[in-house]
Amino acid sequence: MVASSPILPADAQDVAVAAFTRYVGPLYRLADAAGGAIRRFAFVTAEKHMNAAGTVHGGMLMTLADVAMGQTARHAAGGKTCSTVSLNCDFVGPGRLGDLIEARVRVTRASRTMIFLSGEIVAGERVLLVATGLWKIIADS
Amino acid sequence: MSDILPPLPGYFPTELIDPFEIFVGPVFETGARGARRFAFKVGERHANRSGFLHGGMLATLADMTLGQAVWDATDNAPSVTLGMQMQFLKPVRLHDIIEVTPQLMRRTRALVFMRGEFMVAGEIAFAATSTWKLLGQN
Repeated sequence: MVASSPILPADAQDVAVAAFTRYVGPLYRLADAAGGAIRRFAFVTAEKHMNAAGTVHGGMLMTLADVAMGQTARHAAGGKTCSTVSLNCDFVGPGRLGDLIEARVRVTRASRTMIFLSGEIVAGERVLLVATGLWKIIADS
Repeated sequence: MSDILPPLPGYFPTELIDPFEIFVGPVFETGARGARRFAFKVGERHANRSGFLHGGMLATLADMTLGQAVWDATDNAPSVTLGMQMQFLKPVRLHDIIEVTPQLMRRTRALVFMRGEFMVAGEIAFAATSTWKLLGQN
């Protein structure tokens, strides 16, 4: 599905295939950056993503991190299923209602069994979250 | 939607105020303030593409329950999550019940250090530590 929100790039692709990501999404994949070294994912914040203080809930930012890093791990593993082993997030700044929030993910190392990833989540020029994580390649699929 | 009813005897719904938590919840609790135990039952809407509980929901559950415990430890002082470290030890399945009793590790004037071991059927399935900043304190 191609995106329709006015602040999404025209080539954004809906990648929310799981029940949970469809429920909290839609979530989109954007065009790669840095010659394919950075994979980009995004969502547009709505009321359902907010906390009582009027900023984007940390759980939603960590969900974007998990999805973006997990899908990047799967790509780095040649399409094999990967599962999250560890995820570490630092919350640098608040997201706001209506923001286009984007995750940028790099593969630090891909071994035969494990994928090491790092990422940041931004709203425009503002960094909201930085993350590192470790994914295990679990099966062919 | 069997997950909207208390999954265990003696539990009642936790009062949630964040729209995102209300949207992905509910969460249930038992016990006294400062020693609350929380329970969450995995519903169909929480699944990942393999049919297990989505990691993003586990991360959200950690933020929700450890955050409730931060309120208990600070008399509801406003705070924000600074960081969250998570280990995913075992897959959690549809209809599983997850329980956690958050532990306060340390409270300073400006910071709260929390951890939680998230249990499914008596085994640790997920573990989280988090650091919180009390707003307006330095």
